[in-house]
Amino acid sequence: MVARSSGTPPKTPTIDRDAIRDLARLLDETGLTEIELQRDGVLIRVARNLTARTQPSPLPVATVVDAKTPSPIPVEPHPGLIVSPMVGTAYLGPSPGARPFVDVGSEVKAGETLMIIEAMKTMNQIPAPRPGTVIQILIEDGQPVEYSEPLMIIE
Amino acid sequence: MFDKILIANRGEIALRVLRACKELGIPTVAVHSTADADAMHVRLADESVCIGPPPAIDSYLNIPALLAACEITGADAVHPGYGFLAENARFAEILGEHNVHFIGPRPEHIRLMGDKVAAKRAAKDLGIPIVPGSDGNVGSDAEVERLARELGFPLLLKAAAGGGGRGMKLVRAADELPIALSTTRAEAKAAFGDDALYVERYLEKPRHIEVQILGDGKGHVIHLGERDCSLQRRHQKIWEEGPSPALNSAARDQICETAARAMRTIKYLGAGTIEFLYEDGKFSFIEMNTRIQVEHPVTEMITDIDLVAEQIRIAANGDLSLKQRDVKFHGHAIECRINAENPVSFRPSPGKIVHYHPPGGLGVRIDSAAYYGYTIPPYYDSLVGKLIVHGKTRDECLMRLHRALDEFVVDGIETTLPLFRALAREAEIIDGDYHIHWLEEFLARGAAEQ
Repeated sequence: MVARSSGTPPKTPTIDRDAIRDLARLLDETGLTEIELQRDGVLIRVARNLTARTQPSPLPVATVVDAKTPSPIPVEPHPGLIVSPMVGTAYLGPSPGARPFVDVGSEVKAGETLMIIEAMKTMNQIPAPRPGTVIQILIEDGQPVEYSEPLMIIE
Repeated sequence: MFDKILIANRGEIALRVLRACKELGIPTVAVHSTADADAMHVRLADESVCIGPPPAIDSYLNIPALLAACEITGADAVHPGYGFLAENARFAEILGEHNVHFIGPRPEHIRLMGDKVAAKRAAKDLGIPIVPGSDGNVGSDAEVERLARELGFPLLLKAAAGGGGRGMKLVRAADELPIALSTTRAEAKAAFGDDALYVERYLEKPRHIEVQILGDGKGHVIHLGERDCSLQRRHQKIWEEGPSPALNSAARDQICETAARAMRTIKYLGAGTIEFLYEDGKFSFIEMNTRIQVEHPVTEMITDIDLVAEQIRIAANGDLSLKQRDVKFHGHAIECRINAENPVSFRPSPGKIVHYHPPGGLGVRIDSAAYYGYTIPPYYDSLVGKLIVHGKTRDECLMRLHRALDEFVVDGIETTLPLFRALAREAEIIDGDYHIHWLEEFLARGAAEQ
């Protein structure tokens, strides 16, 4: 389960834990996979990732900004968060249509390739910085990514 | 015309380029480091891409990241602004190899003018006047002494491998020459690993005059008059004006036409500036800048020509629709570069702007990426913004400058606004009677009085 907050920063940029807990409980009760609530300029989204372990983990919001979106609230990054070391296009598998390098739930060794980021026609392998289990994949195959964009969570 | 332009820069020049793109109806991509996520150019662009961490070497100078940003956004042209990669020939070449247009001159001209010795030789071959001196490096001390007798004193001994004011020695008279030679050679050897020297006539109180050029790459070149940038501190211009208060129309026409003719010969493409020292009615080539310059608004204000839009049109169409007779000069313009620095010590003063009130009114232009609540990051240059004022005459322009400087409020950081208020009251500035050492002498007098 993921809690995300964005929107106009409130005066104190703290996380409304109670609201997230309430929404998470509602998620369990209703069996929904996602609830989004916008109130006082703050957007809270709770979503269920059915294959991942239940783990509320605040994530930094993607940093693509345009004139209409205000700056995201700074939130503590997940300690197992892997962010993109470069600008490029991310691929989850070694070639189009091939099996992805890892899936949610995969056990990975340190140094194992998690994905490829293509920049300037060069395929850059992104290695796991430490051993662990892939608990979430935050990008789609073929998605453009910025520097420091969240890619994956490994625990 | 281009489908989408990626602006490979930050700060006020990124905003300046963005404005030209918007007026031409071209979508824009801003790039930024993690330190600039809240910057105004990022907010106002149609799309933005974070290309790296705060150090410029990993973000704004990172060629692979910029190319990848072009790829993921589909930008088909890059405007480099000034600084960073604007005069990097390799960058222009790599973009070309990836079918992305570089909005700037051809790589060969960037490379030629980037090499000081080659540029000076090229200028001489093109009929541009240069500082009298040795034609390249001088070998033996005897050769230097022979040259010194020819050129006369004062002379400047320069380390061939030096630059930015380092490795230079002023020699006022013949009896100083032997010691100056040995110490400069020893210093050059120690600092640059090369004791090769060259010799130039030293100019005592020259002015810095530069000519703005636009070319279509096929031999059609026009000039947009000159700017006088003689008020400098440590080779950094802080006050620029046009037309120069020191030139009469004959001298002006002569140097502008000489510069344009030389650029016709090499079929120069895009915007460029040829810089001269001017003393005793004689011009001497310093260097050529193959990019848009910080002080380009001075020229825009007296010609009503949008230089950045012209750069984009030339790069897109390979054509320059303006003719020399279309360029009409009117009035006078002065630009002040307001930096986030202590106005006395010039110590940088990054931080949060807690109050911001730019001046307005007729004939006042502010080119700045600052805003109320903006935090100036410590990683990049200290320019807060440029105040450019225009008047029908130089007198009117100066009165307007006084008024605009008094209106300008930037609180929370230190700025050089107080220095400009003081300069605008100085009799020699008002008379236009200053040279490239004037400001440092003025600052030294101020320091001595304290």
